[in-house]
Parts: sequence; C-alpha cells; structure tokens
Amino acid sequence: MNLHLKKIALLSAVLGASLACAGPVQAQSATPAPDNEALDVEQLFAGTCGFCHSDGGRAAGKGPQLMNSQRDDDFLRNRIKHGKQGAMPAFDGAFTDAQIDQMIKYIRALKPREG
Amino acid sequence: MKKRSSYPVVFVAVAIGATLAASSAFAQSVDTARIEAGGQNDWLTYHGSYKSYHYSPLAQINASNVGNLGVAWMHIPGKSTRGLQSMPLVADGVLYYTGSYSRTFALNGATGEVIWSYFPELDEVLVARQTHSPYNRGAALGEGKVYVGTVDGRLIALDAKTGKVAWDTKLIDSQKLTVGFTGAPLYAKGMVIIGSQGGEWPGRGPIFGVDAATGKKKWEFLTVAGTDEAMKTWGGDSWRTGGGGGWMPGTYDSETNTILWGTANPAPLYDWSGPDYKTQGARPGDNLYTTSVIGLDIDTGKLKFYHQELPHDAWDFDSAVGEFLMLERDGQKLVVHPNKGGFIFVYDRNFAVKNVWRLVQNINFVKDIDPKTGALIGRRDFTAGKVTDPPLCPYIGGGISWNSGSYSPKTGLYYKIGQEWCMTLDVQKTTPVTTPQAQLNIGADFKITQPPGGEIYGHLDARDPVTGAKKWEVRYPEPPIASLLSTAGNLVFLPDARGTIHAYDAESGTELWNHNNGTGHQGGIVSYSVGGKQYIAVTAGFGGMLSDDYAATFGGVFKSMPRDDGALIVYSLK
Repeated sequence: MNLHLKKIALLSAVLGASLACAGPVQAQSATPAPDNEALDVEQLFAGTCGFCHSDGGRAAGKGPQLMNSQRDDDFLRNRIKHGKQGAMPAFDGAFTDAQIDQMIKYIRALKPREG
Repeated sequence: MKKRSSYPVVFVAVAIGATLAASSAFAQSVDTARIEAGGQNDWLTYHGSYKSYHYSPLAQINASNVGNLGVAWMHIPGKSTRGLQSMPLVADGVLYYTGSYSRTFALNGATGEVIWSYFPELDEVLVARQTHSPYNRGAALGEGKVYVGTVDGRLIALDAKTGKVAWDTKLIDSQKLTVGFTGAPLYAKGMVIIGSQGGEWPGRGPIFGVDAATGKKKWEFLTVAGTDEAMKTWGGDSWRTGGGGGWMPGTYDSETNTILWGTANPAPLYDWSGPDYKTQGARPGDNLYTTSVIGLDIDTGKLKFYHQELPHDAWDFDSAVGEFLMLERDGQKLVVHPNKGGFIFVYDRNFAVKNVWRLVQNINFVKDIDPKTGALIGRRDFTAGKVTDPPLCPYIGGGISWNSGSYSPKTGLYYKIGQEWCMTLDVQKTTPVTTPQAQLNIGADFKITQPPGGEIYGHLDARDPVTGAKKWEVRYPEPPIASLLSTAGNLVFLPDARGTIHAYDAESGTELWNHNNGTGHQGGIVSYSVGGKQYIAVTAGFGGMLSDDYAATFGGVFKSMPRDDGALIVYSLK
C-alpha cells in the first residue's frame, strides 16, 4: 500500500459533530477542514504525532513504535482520547471518534518505508 | 563517656546554628544589586548572577578534598512527572526549588527541613492536553517574594517567608494556545520577566514584563512579528501561527537597562521551501524574531537590538538557550551565547557579532557560519521528501540543549556539553496552519540516527569562551543533558544522564569523585554556604521531551529508568 497517496476523507458533518461535542474545558479543536476536503492522517503524523512516534509511527522514539502494535483497537482509541500522564497528551477534544478510527486504520496499515 | 556525651552537644550546636542561619533569610531581601553582585554564599537567580556564569566562588569543597563529599540531606518533592528539571535557588541559608506542576518548596539549606511548600491548583484538563508539560525549570527571587510560572499560563508570586500567594496573574490564554510557562522567570529592577513556550506550537511566542510588587502586566513582546519590520519577514498569514517564544530565562544588563533573551524556533519546524525560502514554503521570509537573541528595554519591553542567529530557521536549532555570559576581554565587554545548532556566538553588548565557533563536530545544516558577520554559509534548505544521505546533523535534540554550561573566572574556561547525533527526515508539504490549535506543527517525520561514520556520544569541553580553543574534553556514550557547575575549588561538576554526578579537576579534566544518584539528571546544580559550610545541590529525575528518547535510543539503564520520579540531593564534606 502506498501510504503517501492514501488520503482518508472525513465529511464535514463529522467535523461539525466534533465541534458540537467539545465542552468548555475541552481541547481547542483541530483546525477544521473545509467542506469535503480530505484529512490526511500522514500529514497529521508529520505535524503532531511523529514528534514522539518516530518515522511516522514506524519506529520507537519518545513514544512507542506503532507499526505492528500488539495493542487492540480499544486500547489505541482510549490512549489517543485520554493520553497518558507525563507521556502522551489527550486528544479527545481535538478529534472525533470517527477521526480517531481513521488514525487507527493508518496505524494498522503502517509498513516499513521502501528504499 | 566523654566522647558519647559530646555527640548530642555537637548536634544541638549544629542544629541551632543551621536554624539561625536559615532564619536570617527573613531579615534580608533579594534585590537587583544583590543579584548583580552574586553573593558568595547564595544562588539568587537561575544563572547564578546576571553574568550567567553558573559559578560558585566557594572553595571549601575543592580538588584536594572532594573525595570526602557525601550526601548531607535529600528532599523528595513527589509527583515528579517527567522528572526534575529545575535550578534551585538559595538566599541566606534557605533553598527554594520547584518540581513538576510548579510545586514550590522552601527548605532549610543546612538540614533540608521543609519551611513551607506551595502546590498551585492547575487546570488539569489543559495539562492533560499538553505535550511539553508538566515540568518546571525554576523560580526567581526578589523583593521578599518567590516567583514561579505555571503550565496553564500564570505567573505566581509567593511570600518568601510563608509561601502564601502575594499575587497570581494570568498572562496567557492557555485554553486557546495550549502553551504556558515551563521556564524560570527573571527578576530585575522591580520587574519579573518570563517567556512563554512556543516553537512548534502555533502562536506568537510572547515574553512578558510584570510588576514585581503588584503582579500587573507592564508589557508584552511578541517574538513572532512583534514589530512592523518583523511583520514583513513572514509571508502571507504565516505570522499568525509562527511559533517563537522564549522559554528559558535570559539575563539583565544593568549598564544598558536591557533584558537579554533568546527566542525559540518558527513553526512548522521543517519547511519544504527549498532554497527559495524568502518567497516559498510554509513561512516565507526570515521569520523575525524567531531563533534570535533580542535586547528589550526592561521598563517598556521595546526592542532595542537583536541578532537573528539562524534566519529562517528550517531545522529547529533555536536560540532559546538562556545563557548570556557577560565577559570582558581586552577592554571589550562581550556576551557569549550558545545556539542549539552547536555553534557558540560571541557578541558585544549590543549583539554585534564578534566571533562564532563550533562546540559540536557533527554539524551539516550549514557548511559554516562566518565568524566575522554571523552570516550562514552553505545552508541546507529542504524540499518535500526524504533527507537521508547525509542525515541532518545535529538531531532535533540539538548539538546544545537548553541546560546551562559554566564559566570559571578562576580558570578562564567555559565548560559546556556538546551532543553528537543526527536524524533522518521525511519533510512533508503540510496544509498551512492558520489559527492557533491544539496540535504541534512539526512538518516532517523523523528518526534519530548515528553521525556519518561514527557513534552517538556527548562531550564535556573546557574551552576559551571567546576563541573556542579547547583545553580538554571528556566523552560520554550518551549525551549528558543537565546543567554544569564550576567552583573556586578548582572543580567542575557534571550530573550525567545515567544518574552519576561527576567532579572533575577544572584545569585538567581529571575525574576526582563521582556518586550514583540512582536516576538520570536533566536539571540544575548549584553551590551555597550555610553557617560556614559549603553545599552542592543537584536535582535528579529523568523524563521529558529530550530524555524520553533515551530508552529507545540507548536501551540499558534507560529502559527501566522512571520518568515520574525525582529528588533533590545535597552534598557536603563528610
């Protein structure tokens, strides 16, 4: 699979739901994507997640390697939403459940880089 | 019998002496003149004095007797999430220090007895969202108060006698910007100066001047596009989310009434502009005043002068290191400032470049920096795609990290840690970030790697601070990342990453003593005297944005090293 080209689209309705769900003490929402624009999870890793999960999640860094993770989806979902004190921030106010599911799909599809 | 009975008498005498010495703190106040003088027995500000030497003139502990150094007392602050990173302060026998979540303690410097403690209530939901959190790197003293910043954007003043809150000022809308304060404030001339986090966080990186007596904000300087001139150096709307910040304390030059401060990097860290960075990429232009050293009028916050160490920093090799060594050489008043990229800049007091020298061997983000002008030569600007051959050197952790070196006026040598490591990248042409948001803005996937043809290592160098001439060097398999201390006892102390604190002969680099503190060091070290007795105080406790890399990179002791623990350990002669 060529992850470089793989875009994971989320509908604006989902983003709208995300904004509506955010409470007053929740995280500032991620910059909302314009209507019908694709959300690129690989870009999300290059912008945020990859700071700790090295090489786009393919190698351990500050955080663990995500490629070939033995953790189940519920664990990953919970960790992305609620974080881990002193190790990983909580993203429950920044992303919807549907967006987090797309991140898990990206993680499951990670393969070593070619070349 | 006589011997037995003498012990309690001696103990009581020492205890009374220590108590009297500690209580004398309350008779005096810390002010600008006192910090400027850098009193022998105290450690009154983050960098020791405004000269930023991280040097103690005490010599009771010296090269001939350091073998007799032992633990005098310890203090466990608790809840040390991401270890302990702060620089203790000492005034008149009272030691003040901070831990994670800005927990603040006042301890009897001779015994470790807790005089008071203060645990601020923080916005825990916000803290849970932050990446660069919840560590705190220290406090400031002045006008009978202890000043400490918080990760939820506040600056708090505590009564130095009681620990009671004197004022609590909200300076940053951390709910919106997600950043707050992790660095120590600086007290000078009735003002408390503190810079915000920034860098990879989308924002404009403010530095604040606050009235020390009232807590009222007097000025705010934006390190991203903070003047009309600077605004022209950010293409499009990139200035809105440019990063910057000034998260380590700088210093104060009383002769010019100026605050000297180092600023952080622009965002995204890695740009896809290629060589046409003036007009292309995520943030076209030089991106003033990021990765710069700036001089601000302490009364107004107005910019007086600056030097941008790396115009359009495309590598996250910022200028946030807070050391500004104030030296005199051949009748010239100089300032020495380390840059994260591994170069040491030498300026006059208005930041005109006088020299630039390399502390670190593995540097390839530029071919060189002109030592006469500071201009970058042969800069390496990436386009989108892989950066592997050669990798980028140094690694994102820097050739130089944020902790401080030490200058000994006795030996004339500058002791500083260099870090030799590199990284591969996959630079991404990311969607522009146009509003502050909860996420980072990195701009690339990356991975740590060895320098071409060699291994990762760190080194303690003893150098001439102006010319860079090297007198000696000690190497370590893992780069040490804590601050250093030199003393008039002809000693240099280095707390290493594995957990051992070393004492070296300041002239030769010969190791004279070491002690295992049981966990890695990444914070401060100071020396002070109470009741005629010299002490060395060091913070131990690992974890954070750089040390979190060590388990995956080096394995060994780092695999089991806690990242939520810490202690203050204080030594004296046995």
